[in-house]
Amino acid sequence: MMAELHNYLGVGAVLFALGAIGFLTRRNLIVMTLSAELMLQGASLNLVAFSHLHGNYQGQAFAVFIVAVAACEAGVALALFVALYRRKRTLDAGAWRELAEEGLDSGRGVEEPPVAPLLPVHPEFPRLTPAGRVPEVPKRRAGRRV
Amino acid sequence: MFAQTDWPGGHALTVVPPLLGFLAVWWLMPRAKAWPRSAGALLGLAALASGGLTLFQPGTAMVQNLLFGFFALVAIGAAVLMITNRNPLYSALWFVVVTLCVCGLFLLRSAPFLAAASTIVYAGAIIVTFLFLIMLAQQAVGVAAYDQRARQPLAATLSGFLVLGGLLCALRPWVPETAAGRFAATSKTAAATPASQSQAILRVGVSPESSAVRDSDSTGAPAVRQAPSLAASPLSQQRNRPVGTVRGLGRSLFGDYLYAVELAGTLLMVASIGAIAIALRTPRGKV
Repeated sequence: MMAELHNYLGVGAVLFALGAIGFLTRRNLIVMTLSAELMLQGASLNLVAFSHLHGNYQGQAFAVFIVAVAACEAGVALALFVALYRRKRTLDAGAWRELAEEGLDSGRGVEEPPVAPLLPVHPEFPRLTPAGRVPEVPKRRAGRRV
Repeated sequence: MFAQTDWPGGHALTVVPPLLGFLAVWWLMPRAKAWPRSAGALLGLAALASGGLTLFQPGTAMVQNLLFGFFALVAIGAAVLMITNRNPLYSALWFVVVTLCVCGLFLLRSAPFLAAASTIVYAGAIIVTFLFLIMLAQQAVGVAAYDQRARQPLAATLSGFLVLGGLLCALRPWVPETAAGRFAATSKTAAATPASQSQAILRVGVSPESSAVRDSDSTGAPAVRQAPSLAASPLSQQRNRPVGTVRGLGRSLFGDYLYAVELAGTLLMVASIGAIAIALRTPRGKV
């Protein structure tokens, strides 16, 4: 029983560590979010293993809450990514490095010269499906605060 | 009751898989130039095989052991492929594999409702919307520049595996007899005074002056009445009892954790409102 618990906790720890590595190394915002979800999965695996060991439902209830919070997080993150992508046409997390604190050398890992994109991004290319009237894209973007 | 023989080979098999896994993950990280990825794949397979040897325990529940090994190894391998793939589309698909394998582990740990919910929420809703966003954002042919190279791959992988090593070292004393003895001692003391402990938990959970209110309040009464039996969880007295029923989980959720469920619902609503407000295309105030 205890050795089984140890195995499950070990798998949860491995998933957690892999999620942390993915969050640290990847530069795509979506992959970073997925790595955070991977860490949550490792944690909920721990909770379920302990729930089985103790014979009650507390761990499973907490894992259900983890699923709910992960759903919230994914929804808000998706909305943020859509908004960010609309500004800069990229999903690179390094594109928003100016949000970091002054004097904090946060971009040390990505100091290599920027690689040109494989294909020039068409300015009007990816857009959400317009519903209703046609939005006036250039005028409104010029008037919006940055 | 658990001897050191639970871990065949002693320390070697506990050290080798993380080391091989470290090398494999570091090797497979996306780089600017082309590099032989097959070496990393071989290293990863070796790490998985040695990890499987570590996990494998000849025992009575052979089918369970085999299923656990399958799910665990596939989940770990898919997780490695997820964080090292250069295409975020494939990363998302590998994440589906990880989710399904973790749901299999949930089933093995008698959590069927959680397995179903995770499959629906993760592999269904979240991944589909993320794939939608990826396909919107990456209509250009090829891999984006920021996906072609990782950010500090060596340092990040090293720190991640140091965390993993720390976790595994902290987990290891669970198996020998010292931890088992400590565990039995705590459960014995917990079993000695279950009533007082449950009373204490009840006092903490419920406001103290509510004993008269408890019986009159129609919504709060079931939660409070469930609390003594479910909140008191001495480790020994309920162990090995099957916990797999959805009914029990529902009673726990809507009995013990009723307020938390309400809070989670509120959180979901606030998050959906926030998502709509963030992603809205029109300026504020106009529709």
